[in-house]
Amino acid sequence: MSATIIEPFRKKWRGPLTDRARFVRQLNRQPVDRCFNMEFGYWDDNFKLWPMFRDHGIMNNEDADRFLSFDRTAMVGSPWMHPGFPYEEISRTATTRIMRNGDGLIAEVPLDGHDTIPHYLEATVKTPEDWAKVKVERFDRRHPDRKPDLAAILRDHPADRDYPLGVWAGSMIGKIRDMLTVEGLAYAVYDYPEMVEDMVETSCLLLEDFLDAVLPQVKFDYAGGWEDICYKSGPLVSVDFFRDIVVPRYKRISTKLRAHGVDLWWIDCDGDVRPLIPHFLAGGVNTMFPWEVNGSGHPGESLDRWGPELRIMGGVDKMVLGRSRKDIRAWLQSLAPYVASGGFIPFCDHRCPPNVNPDDYLYYLDLKEELFGLRG
Amino acid sequence: MPLLTELTAAVAAGKRTDTVRLTQELLAAGLAPQTIVETGLVPGMAIVGDKFKRNEIFVPEMLVAARAMKEALKILEPLLALAGIKPKYTALIGTVQGDLHDIGKNLISMMWRGANFAVVDLGTNVSPEKYLAAAVEHKANIVGLSALLTTTMPAMKETVRILKAANLPDMKIMIGGAPITQAFADEIGADGYAADAGTAVDIARKLVGAAA
Repeated sequence: MSATIIEPFRKKWRGPLTDRARFVRQLNRQPVDRCFNMEFGYWDDNFKLWPMFRDHGIMNNEDADRFLSFDRTAMVGSPWMHPGFPYEEISRTATTRIMRNGDGLIAEVPLDGHDTIPHYLEATVKTPEDWAKVKVERFDRRHPDRKPDLAAILRDHPADRDYPLGVWAGSMIGKIRDMLTVEGLAYAVYDYPEMVEDMVETSCLLLEDFLDAVLPQVKFDYAGGWEDICYKSGPLVSVDFFRDIVVPRYKRISTKLRAHGVDLWWIDCDGDVRPLIPHFLAGGVNTMFPWEVNGSGHPGESLDRWGPELRIMGGVDKMVLGRSRKDIRAWLQSLAPYVASGGFIPFCDHRCPPNVNPDDYLYYLDLKEELFGLRG
Repeated sequence: MPLLTELTAAVAAGKRTDTVRLTQELLAAGLAPQTIVETGLVPGMAIVGDKFKRNEIFVPEMLVAARAMKEALKILEPLLALAGIKPKYTALIGTVQGDLHDIGKNLISMMWRGANFAVVDLGTNVSPEKYLAAAVEHKANIVGLSALLTTTMPAMKETVRILKAANLPDMKIMIGGAPITQAFADEIGADGYAADAGTAVDIARKLVGAAA
């Protein structure tokens, strides 16, 4: 947590339960005092454009969470490539810079720093020979830096904490997509399936090593991961490959998590995740986040379809937040039965974009408390 | 299985080696390049588009199929050019100003090529003026605008306004992208909206009046 002193802009929602108890109970469809109050965050431009952030020096999502007094969550771990590639500028045009990022990917980004997705130009890994080199140099399981600092985790997150603590569990394919690019992953699954499977297996082994070190020592409340392996019209990875290669590794991770009492596992995956839901569930991933409505539809439709096995976090259509207060009210009201039945925590279905009127956003937060906060 | 049918199946399955081999065999057998394109390759991509629309396949399968077709076109296009044969319709595509992403744009571009449109790819971060100049230069039948972010939707609106104001004959505007909806297309006056790369072929054909 940032050491900056933040004067809260809003009061924390009232409620007798701790954030920790509320989060776990709500996702497990057990009675709660009120809905868990969280948001995914904001684009960088919101911090420059929205007066409530700009005028109070709120510059990032961590500070915004405290400024708006949301319920707290925390997460530890992120075993992946180590050492990463050094960030470097390769060239620049009048309007863009060509950069190599920490994953080794070469990408074009705007010179003025405005928010956008980078334009990826060249993959880190294109052939099995590339992967063999990167694997030796950056994916060594025995690298001494990979040993988790258990003392620091236990010091920062004591056993009697009042907030839920998550353990990182993923990515198993999204970070590989980042190294290969979307097109590169599609071609590699076709051209070099053994290479991609070895990349997935390497990701899984790194995660297993990390979990073996932390799970016996720290009581976690949930697991969380990131894949971003779907877009608006469905998966960015072959569904067969996902089912046959990725899901068995999820099962290995899930077995470890459940052996230590971690039954909730969310994955951050944008876009239309619905074609992958049966496979996520088969692998032990039971919570989807942030449920982008423009891809995956109204969250209630999938909660109804999949029953209590599936949980959803997110599902408040960012496009609706940018329309009108009447639309915002109608959308939140449509979510009310699902908040009431549990297994669902509503928030904006990705980083809230800057085109949303900040006054309407505050209206949304007020309305969310009115509908889903403590009654009486 | 006749070679043309095999070629269609090879494209649909993304088998680029087979696609190239079959294309060469069909040429050696004396088949006209245009026939190979229209009755071998294009039906293969049509299968891909149909399966995509039915959620039977997704982007990866579409990409490998388009790659197979592209390999065949590398052989056929010089022959078509020698014979003076061009696709009947021309489509421009680009990502609107302020937006650098290109995956959606590239998919549409591949599918349009697969449907035998001549495609001019303007790249990313394309200004309204550049769209207009290219539409005039290439006598475009379709201009496709892509946007990934809500923040670049105003640039899409402005591009549509400028293109419409030019009143170019026979030019239709299509839009698409993660935050785009039919309602937004209607609001800004675009002629068509495609929810995905499979639908984009149907919409483009409908807008230019081509037979499916």
